Amino acid sequence: MLTVTVRRLLLAIPTLVALTALLFFSVTKILGSPASMMLGEDASPSAIAELNARYGFDRPAYVQYVDWLKSAAMGDFGRSYTSNDSVGAAIAGALPVTLELSAWAILLAVVASVGLNSLPNMPGLRRIVVLANLIGITMPNFFIGISLIFLFSVELGWLPTTGWAAWSDGIVQHMQHMIMPVLTLSAYYFGAFSLIYRAEFSEVYRLLYIRTARAKGLPPFKVAFKHALPNAILPVITFAGLSMGQLTGGAVVTETVFSMPGIGRLFVSAIAGRDFPVMLAIGMVVVVGVVIMNLVADILYTVVNPQIRLE
Amino acid sequence: MRVSQKSIGGLIVLLACAVALLAPILAPHDPTKSSVLFLHRPSDTYLFGTDELGRDILSRVIYGTRTSLAIGAGASLVAVIIGAPIGLAAGYLGGKIDVVAVQLIDLFIALPGLVLALIITVMVGPSLLNLVLVLGVVTCPVVARLVRGQTLAVREHAYIEAAVAAGGSSFWIIRRHVWPNIVRIVAAQFAITVSFAIITSASLSFLGLGIPPPTPDWGSMVRSGFDVLAINPALSLAPGSAIGVLVLGFYLLGNSDR
Repeated sequence: MLTVTVRRLLLAIPTLVALTALLFFSVTKILGSPASMMLGEDASPSAIAELNARYGFDRPAYVQYVDWLKSAAMGDFGRSYTSNDSVGAAIAGALPVTLELSAWAILLAVVASVGLNSLPNMPGLRRIVVLANLIGITMPNFFIGISLIFLFSVELGWLPTTGWAAWSDGIVQHMQHMIMPVLTLSAYYFGAFSLIYRAEFSEVYRLLYIRTARAKGLPPFKVAFKHALPNAILPVITFAGLSMGQLTGGAVVTETVFSMPGIGRLFVSAIAGRDFPVMLAIGMVVVVGVVIMNLVADILYTVVNPQIRLE
Repeated sequence: MRVSQKSIGGLIVLLACAVALLAPILAPHDPTKSSVLFLHRPSDTYLFGTDELGRDILSRVIYGTRTSLAIGAGASLVAVIIGAPIGLAAGYLGGKIDVVAVQLIDLFIALPGLVLALIITVMVGPSLLNLVLVLGVVTCPVVARLVRGQTLAVREHAYIEAAVAAGGSSFWIIRRHVWPNIVRIVAAQFAITVSFAIITSASLSFLGLGIPPPTPDWGSMVRSGFDVLAINPALSLAPGSAIGVLVLGFYLLGNSDR
């Protein structure tokens, strides 16, 4: 297991280098000189030349890239063009927010989809669950977020509209700011997991041991949750692991709607300000995250299903 | 009476096409003409009220159907044009081509589509044509993977073997025997891709990288309505619901055949 993990991580390095190189060269080619971006359109040529020399922007792109790669490998992602802060520090500050948001969202999506789709048949219940799934899959998540804000903050006044409270401000404060973003981000995954789980659950429910459990008089609730659920949850776990990477996309929108100081909003403001070092560093974080989560999903799969071996 | 999900989806899509075509007749006002009535509440003249520049929200939602349909259908067309040949070649020819294609496809599917689209859009600049191309490129790996899988299944049939034995070239067999057998599933995926493209382009607009004004665009409308949610919620809620309904239509249309 350990050798497989190490080998997978090593295999991810070429991917990382290729993707960052692609990003690096296309950005420098298309966006032009960072010096004129930093100083504005009307900067004098001598000021631009001076800045170019100071930061080394006048060197060929591949030299700059190798330089960037060297310092990135040692954890130094340079300084932001717009705020002049350390990019590494900015990301380290934003990452916990996004990770917490994503973890809650995935957890909620798994629990809700598995729980609601295991419930024994009750009149009208299936219809409501299917409708909720469809809404989750087809509604853009910024619109779900805005609708929640409209309902719970503007109309009812129960929750704060946007913003963020750290754990140190108290658990209640923290969770009040967390509820709506988590609901927003988890909506799509609730729908997607439900489809996967329901298909598997129906398969499992036809098996003989379920018939035995029902024939011996177990209550339907127990049959569903204790006998069918553990055998139907496998694909959901795999898919949940694979979704963690994709979640970044949803986090970008959700954090923007709710003004949360996470990676997603950092990325949006970096894009708006053409802040290249920040964009590049976040791109790298996302790729690393995707690789790690795919690996975790694979490993989890072998844990729950020992018939499968990683090679 | 049971109505199939597919027919509901088809009905929604047909209605949307009709609205897009008949927009000049249906819209009560000029969608790009400003008036002095900024952020007017819903009334008889302005059914959903007016936006921050005094433009009629209903008319803008009606005209926005055109934008969404154009981006959705255009992007999916690009995705099929790029993705299908890759999938067909990888699935039918196999070997090294297949290995390389699968590696690339898996890599790009794992990356978050919206983040990819954001980066490319900021580099090429937002315009209708660029958005269609960017979203097409971002979604083409999904099409390629589906087509490859279907091609692998079709390739095993005896009639393919017969065609090979009869001396048919790979290109001819793919066009004459493989493609007709998978086109139905590709069509279903096309509809799903449309719904994905509409959501992603709306998200880009919401983040400020959508179609430049004054073109009526649902995502940008939701964005501008977000700041004035307490004054006129219809500015956000009307176009937002429109996105949801249209996406639902395409999703239901494509989902049953997958």
